[in-house]
Amino acid sequence: MSERFQQGSLSARYGRPFVKLVLALTLFFLAFPVVMTFVSSFASDWFGVFPTGFVTTANWEDVIVGTGVGADVAVGSSLVYSTGLALGGVVINLIVGVPIAYAVARYDFWGRDWVNVFAILPLAPGIILGVAFLRTYPDLSTSGIALIIGYSLLKAPYMVMAVQSSFQSMDLQQIEESARSLGASWPRTFLTVIVPNAKTGIIAGSIISWTLAAAEFNFSYIVYSRGTPPLAIFLFNNITNASFLNAAAAVSVFFLLIALVTIALQIIGNRGAVRRI
Amino acid sequence: MGADHVSTDTRAAESVQATLKSLVSPASERQREIRRIVALCIPFSILLVFSGVFPLTEMFRISFSESRLVTEGFTVEYYRTLVTDPYYRNIAFNTLWFAAATTVTSICVAVPVAHALEKYALPAKSVILTVLSFPNSLPGIVAAFMIIILFGNTGVLSNVFAFLSGQSRIDVAIATSVGGLFFAYIYSMIPRALLLLRGTYAEVNTDAEEAARALGATPLQTFRYVTLPQIKPGVIGAFILVFRTGLAIFGTVLILKGLLVWTLQIDRELAQGFNIAQASAMATVWFFFVFGFTVLALRYTSAEVSI
Amino acid sequence: MSEVSLENVTKRFDSTVAVDDVSIDIDDGEVMGIVGPSGCGKTTALRLVAGFETPTDGAIRYDGEDVTHVPPENRNVGLVFQSYALFNNMSVLKNVTFGPKMHGVSKRERRERAEELLELLDIEELADRDPKTLSGGQQQRVGLARALAIEPHILLLDEPMTGLDAKLKQNLRQELGQLLEDLGITTLYVTHDQEQAMSMCDRIAVMNEGRLEQIGTPAEIYEQPANEFVAGFIGTANLLEGTIRDGTLSLGFGEVDAPETTVEEGDVTVLVRPDEIPVGDGPLDVEVTNLFYQGEHVQATAELPDGRELTLRLDRSRKTVGTGDTLSIDIDPSSVHVIQSTE
Repeated sequence: MSERFQQGSLSARYGRPFVKLVLALTLFFLAFPVVMTFVSSFASDWFGVFPTGFVTTANWEDVIVGTGVGADVAVGSSLVYSTGLALGGVVINLIVGVPIAYAVARYDFWGRDWVNVFAILPLAPGIILGVAFLRTYPDLSTSGIALIIGYSLLKAPYMVMAVQSSFQSMDLQQIEESARSLGASWPRTFLTVIVPNAKTGIIAGSIISWTLAAAEFNFSYIVYSRGTPPLAIFLFNNITNASFLNAAAAVSVFFLLIALVTIALQIIGNRGAVRRI
Repeated sequence: MGADHVSTDTRAAESVQATLKSLVSPASERQREIRRIVALCIPFSILLVFSGVFPLTEMFRISFSESRLVTEGFTVEYYRTLVTDPYYRNIAFNTLWFAAATTVTSICVAVPVAHALEKYALPAKSVILTVLSFPNSLPGIVAAFMIIILFGNTGVLSNVFAFLSGQSRIDVAIATSVGGLFFAYIYSMIPRALLLLRGTYAEVNTDAEEAARALGATPLQTFRYVTLPQIKPGVIGAFILVFRTGLAIFGTVLILKGLLVWTLQIDRELAQGFNIAQASAMATVWFFFVFGFTVLALRYTSAEVSI
Repeated sequence: MSEVSLENVTKRFDSTVAVDDVSIDIDDGEVMGIVGPSGCGKTTALRLVAGFETPTDGAIRYDGEDVTHVPPENRNVGLVFQSYALFNNMSVLKNVTFGPKMHGVSKRERRERAEELLELLDIEELADRDPKTLSGGQQQRVGLARALAIEPHILLLDEPMTGLDAKLKQNLRQELGQLLEDLGITTLYVTHDQEQAMSMCDRIAVMNEGRLEQIGTPAEIYEQPANEFVAGFIGTANLLEGTIRDGTLSLGFGEVDAPETTVEEGDVTVLVRPDEIPVGDGPLDVEVTNLFYQGEHVQATAELPDGRELTLRLDRSRKTVGTGDTLSIDIDPSSVHVIQSTE
């Protein structure tokens, strides 16, 4: 009789602790180096197990002001340059991404699934597209225009997905038809009712595609030739050429940027979009 | 025969004309709708053509060029090299097994993590979610730097292992070995796999799982027979996308160098003498392989690519 | 004056016929209901009137004018959807003034018109609110005010109460019915809920599988259904087969005088509504097989001597009746409606 309610099976007893252990190890693996990077960027030495010589801002000064040797450019100019390039990409993404997201979310048409796949799967990754651009637009690469149009194609899927997640929470057909029955032409309906209603998704998509464009390394590395390096190239130069702790500071600048973006997305409250980064 | 040709030609011409006419001055609501769909797809198509299709076509053309810097003549020389030279075959082999191994590992880690996130009551869940999605916005070069922090010559884990095994730190530092590269790959791939799997997990029918438990299934049996069949399309979808990601990794290898993979070799072709034709041939092969792989996988598996 | 009519309208989607040769004339100021099960084509009919679908065949006329190919934005129809589809990026007032703005009404006038409507619907205090923060009932009123603000030719209501709870639905039904009557606006009301349609509409069109089965006042539809489908869809129906011969209807278990309808002699199907069968005293004994307590009354299934089933309605004074009990019933000739002759 006492065996009527047996102890759980093996998996009932050890399954949950095991899964939790995997979670804990994953968290450690992903978060620990980020924390160490940030902490060590304020250290003056790192020869032993842990960095020593806290707190110094020398590394940050080198990154922000520039050292004049090695990775000699200050982060500011790269940041400004990348901001501009990525913004250009975002503008193009808005023009191409919002309409196609709407077409796929609202209408039913032949080949819609494949249009959707093209819109949300990157056609080619940065390095392949980079090689293609090198050959096709050799003159544009120095002006940054090649970078802008490349970024916009590479990051368009993120815009489309974020906007789609906004559209999915709306009854598009009824909203569109209500506006039209009230006398608004279709273009006017799209611009004054549909687009403003998808505001959160559009802002989230802009922020995400901006961040990812600013962080795009593979494409920038192949296409960039001279002039102010984009942010990702600046990071690369620091990681490969600068002292270890300077690199830590440069990477930390980037972390701060991502942290700001994450906070911004959370303020917008588009949790779906945050999940999708 | 000839008459047949003429009539099909005119019919085709007529239908094209009719389509154009309905686009310009639509009469029915359905025709107006088609015009709208076309208008909505045009901007994206323009971008796709100018920054995707056209450059990729140019790349494709120069990969057959006899001249090194301009498209001229026709030769399959560069492709022959890729097929016959054991050097390139070796690189292809490395690329594929390494991407496959890291993909499988990432998914094996991501499934239990997604499970825990969906099913368990966890403290500070929003912090956990932020930590798990943070690396998705990091470029590969930063992932490489993270691995240097962990496994580099002064790396934290290198120190721990050195202490445990009694060897010198330099001997146990694996950052620039294949092992280090493996960790760098999964540093980028786990969060990506997780992102995809969490979407899948959110749609699992929990009633069926509870019913299975009530019927006497152990947690493992429930997972095996109830949960797994439900997440299978999502897992396959995640495998496809993460594998694609794995094949495209470049910045990480550029820094850690542990293994010579396809993308790194493309860069070397360019860096060592600007052999753009060879690089283009390699990029073309890469593109068609991944494109074909994706199309076939989406077509012939139950994969769900919802992202 | 605004009459709206569908003239022999057919709408085909690929291989399926959603609306099959339907003609409905809606008079000026009339509230016309379209009811039918889901998939019967009633929503397509509404969308054809609004202009969101173009008929494959036939014509839509407003006041006699052919508008078949006029796009919806030029038709001036007021549309209220099931989800109300309020514009969340605008305040309630902006929602209501949106239509007049599109029609080029001056800023002052459209504001006045909106305020008037909000007052009429008793929601003037909601003017500056964000639609997302409103309750279902409030949203419905805003949706209605928005549709009325363009002084539409016809008001189209597509299942406007489906999402609301039962109590609220009842209140709104009364209010909306009163409002439509007061405004005297031509209305097309599409619903699957026949009770709502009966209580609110001047006339009802019953649709099934794309076809128009019957059109008439609620009383006509209920009391003289044109066929078995209408009889079964509107209210609860007992359909019995019988034979008319020499002015007598023979139902197998008994005979009654044939109703005064001009039906040829022969086999017929007749309708007897449960509420028209008096229970307690009569020549016919039936055995109760099932009881469904419904609050205000009890619905009973009973077996006739010949084994056929009959649905009865018992008032609450008979709540002691149990399964297996025998009840005496009567069938009055005046409550028997011949609906079709069975060939």
